[in-house]
Amino acid sequence: MTRSSGARRIPGRVAIYVAAIILAVYSAFPIYWMVASSLRPTQEMLVDPTLIPRELTLDYYYSLLSQTDYPRQFLNSLIVALSTVALTMILSIMIAYGVTRQRIRGKQMIIAGMLYAYMFPPLLLAIPLYAMFTAVGLNGSLLSLVISHLTITMPLGVWFLWGFFKTMPFELEEAAMVDGCTRLGAFLRVVLPLSVPGLVTVAIFAFLLSWTDYTFALVMISSDANKTVPLGLASMIGAFDLRWGDVMAGSTLIAMPLFAAFVMLSRYFVQGLTAGAVKG
Amino acid sequence: MTRWLLPGFLAVGVVATLVLIVGPALYAVSLSFYEIPSLTADPVWAGFANYAEVLGSGEFWSALWNGIVYAGLAIILQVVLGIGFALLLNQPFFGRALLRGIAFLPYLLPTVIAVLVFKWMVDGSLGIVTITMDDLGLPPIYWFETETASMVSVILISVWLWTPFVTTTFLAGLQTVPTQLYEAARVDGAGPVRRFFHVTLPSLRPILTVIILLRGVWMFNKFDVIWLTTGGGPLGATEHLPVLSYRMAFKLYDIGSGAAVATLSFFVLMIAVTVYFRVFPIEGGK
Repeated sequence: MTRSSGARRIPGRVAIYVAAIILAVYSAFPIYWMVASSLRPTQEMLVDPTLIPRELTLDYYYSLLSQTDYPRQFLNSLIVALSTVALTMILSIMIAYGVTRQRIRGKQMIIAGMLYAYMFPPLLLAIPLYAMFTAVGLNGSLLSLVISHLTITMPLGVWFLWGFFKTMPFELEEAAMVDGCTRLGAFLRVVLPLSVPGLVTVAIFAFLLSWTDYTFALVMISSDANKTVPLGLASMIGAFDLRWGDVMAGSTLIAMPLFAAFVMLSRYFVQGLTAGAVKG
Repeated sequence: MTRWLLPGFLAVGVVATLVLIVGPALYAVSLSFYEIPSLTADPVWAGFANYAEVLGSGEFWSALWNGIVYAGLAIILQVVLGIGFALLLNQPFFGRALLRGIAFLPYLLPTVIAVLVFKWMVDGSLGIVTITMDDLGLPPIYWFETETASMVSVILISVWLWTPFVTTTFLAGLQTVPTQLYEAARVDGAGPVRRFFHVTLPSLRPILTVIILLRGVWMFNKFDVIWLTTGGGPLGATEHLPVLSYRMAFKLYDIGSGAAVATLSFFVLMIAVTVYFRVFPIEGGK
């Protein structure tokens, strides 16, 4: 009995490991190939490339950082993403907290508005925003891009934090207020510290959406000086002499902060996704 | 101070919602009723002329159909693969935690990078896929030249990028299925396949309903994969509504028609979502 079930299990174990290897290669190979191609000397790229580069070089990184607009674009991406995260946090904390704690008619409208915003085609927002920014002379600025990103990240933040604050008992703040805290004090000293996991999740996804965005950047930004990295890399596609090594080096550099963040904070990523709070 | 804190927060919420969401959406709808030759000239009231023009053109209907094909196939593949991956990652085996992390990685990549890496891998002379297929004696595939191949390309990239969403959410759902249900099914003599169809799927039906809805909405609205990979070509074979809307507004400088297409595509989506909820109601509870 035990022997027969043990014998039956071996093919099953093998099948699981084979499937696991297929999944690993499928998920990781394109990423590995991106990194490998950014380190492989050009002459090696032109002849039959080996799976593992025979020689490693940092030439593409040097030329990318010293001869192109890449450093500038990287800085632009960073400014836009960090500003978006900061504004998303401030707005979504205030709105979500207000909505969960204040009894008032019409607050369902705010939540419903956030849900509808999920379903807006990007161009339904990008076209009017572009027209509005042009009217007030903001077109092409990094600020216009930050505001555009907020149209996606704020609904996400409110939606997620709404679910988070809702489960937090009112008695917490009431106890603090009985002890002499003001409402603001109770909010800052009791509610916010307890909400750190939710806040981290919102910050991560706001950063991810802003850092990886191409669509809004394409519509809003026209000058080379204000391009973000996704836009800059995309404009290399059509270039006359396409330098794949540089492109792969640029891609690797912009993916690395995300991978590093994921390694350190993976449970927040998973939590964010499973809360269904993410657009992408 | 204490009395005004919450109303103050809510006032910020109302203003932000009006400025960032309601305002732009209403403005987009109003733009669709104007003829706007340039953003510096005064718009001219056009009534339903933009809608008549858009709906009367073959472009709109072929873009709608392309969008349905693209979103439909991409969702089916994401859901089937995602469920398969989740079932695998739910089995105990050595290195499982690491593989769960690896399987998530594509989701983190900017679309631009996924498209660039795909184009590099299938590059006509230097791409690893091209070289490998040549070594195996397979005929070359012209990924972006024929109608079918370019549709396959954009679907492949989308599936690779966003399957981790289905994998991760379904895997989280799998942990919530009570093990007693599986034991009971096993006692009744149900094999793994029947356990999946009679225990796992029915238990996770509410989660699956939401996953398919969210992925469907996002795939239907997704602009960047197709724009970056094919630009809607060849000859409009992969042009869907977001690309058509962008092209009209920013390449043909017809903001009114671009806004009309965006508005129409939102209505199509609303109808689809309403029908979806009728067919697959999300039961109360979760």
